[in-house]
Amino acid sequence: MTDLTRRARLALWVQREVGRVLSVFWIPASAFALRYVMGYRIKNVARLRKRFRALMAESDEPVLICANHLTMVDSMLVAWALGGTWWYFFHYRRMPWNLPEYRNFTSLWFGRAAMWITKCIPIRRGGRREHVSAVLKRIKYLLSRGETALVFAEGGRSRTGRVQLDSIAYGMGRITSSVRNCRALVVYLRGDRQRTWSTVPAMGDSFYVDFEVLRPHSERTGMRRSREFAQQIAQRLVGMEEKYFARRK
Amino acid sequence: MARDETFGKVMEIIGRYAKNKDAIEGATEDTNILEDLKVNSARLVDVILDFEDEFDIEVDDEDADAVNTVGDAVTLIEAKLA
Repeated sequence: MTDLTRRARLALWVQREVGRVLSVFWIPASAFALRYVMGYRIKNVARLRKRFRALMAESDEPVLICANHLTMVDSMLVAWALGGTWWYFFHYRRMPWNLPEYRNFTSLWFGRAAMWITKCIPIRRGGRREHVSAVLKRIKYLLSRGETALVFAEGGRSRTGRVQLDSIAYGMGRITSSVRNCRALVVYLRGDRQRTWSTVPAMGDSFYVDFEVLRPHSERTGMRRSREFAQQIAQRLVGMEEKYFARRK
Repeated sequence: MARDETFGKVMEIIGRYAKNKDAIEGATEDTNILEDLKVNSARLVDVILDFEDEFDIEVDDEDADAVNTVGDAVTLIEAKLA
């Protein structure tokens, strides 16, 4: 069952397939930019990817990646850190769909084109509820079809540099509570030199990345259930952040 | 319950979450909850859940998606109470 029209489903299919064909260009180009232009490095990357790939091989159940958010390239970093480059050619459905802020990327035509090719569905955060709902419906549909999506647990970049429980994105609870068997892959990402939020991380930065799988649960129904799901995901992220800072001491 | 009374209770609830306290005073049914009253979008769900408690109604996500202005909220509540 889906709330999407046939036209909307077809549009997503076309977007996915065009992106998949072009992925031989854009995935390596993105990885090259992160690794060799920006000089970023993921700590313990081999072990991290082994864990992630094993997890993905375990089950076909839908996965919603819920990450913290400090810079505008976090979604690229998370995808690169977890899957690498070549692995996505053979597991393209595991390349996460993203929900970038509409205003950040759509002022120029090539920005819009790049977003479309790279599995992005722009969203106006804080926009009209009908628009936000329509975007969430598309993500729910994609997850139910075995695709993977990434949302930021706080909606926008954290203004304090730490996970902000007072601005958690209800949408991630709404998605995980309404997509059957949906797992939340809670991801904590942070560069060593990342003190607070910024546009991009410092060049040459090294990133700590960790993830945990969560199956939120609630005895409640409706919006309260979704809110509890979102709170559980955010609380897990806070715990992971505390673990990160405890290790740094 | 009269529409004015519902409006007053709705404003009382929204007022707890609004960052633009000045706009609360002159709010009308056309006032946008997120843009004019500067309620954080992450808090909108709390506003709706407070409506549920205050008016003893149940609101689902589809209903909540239609709430953009104070008037939308009042209309939704009145429909649920009818």
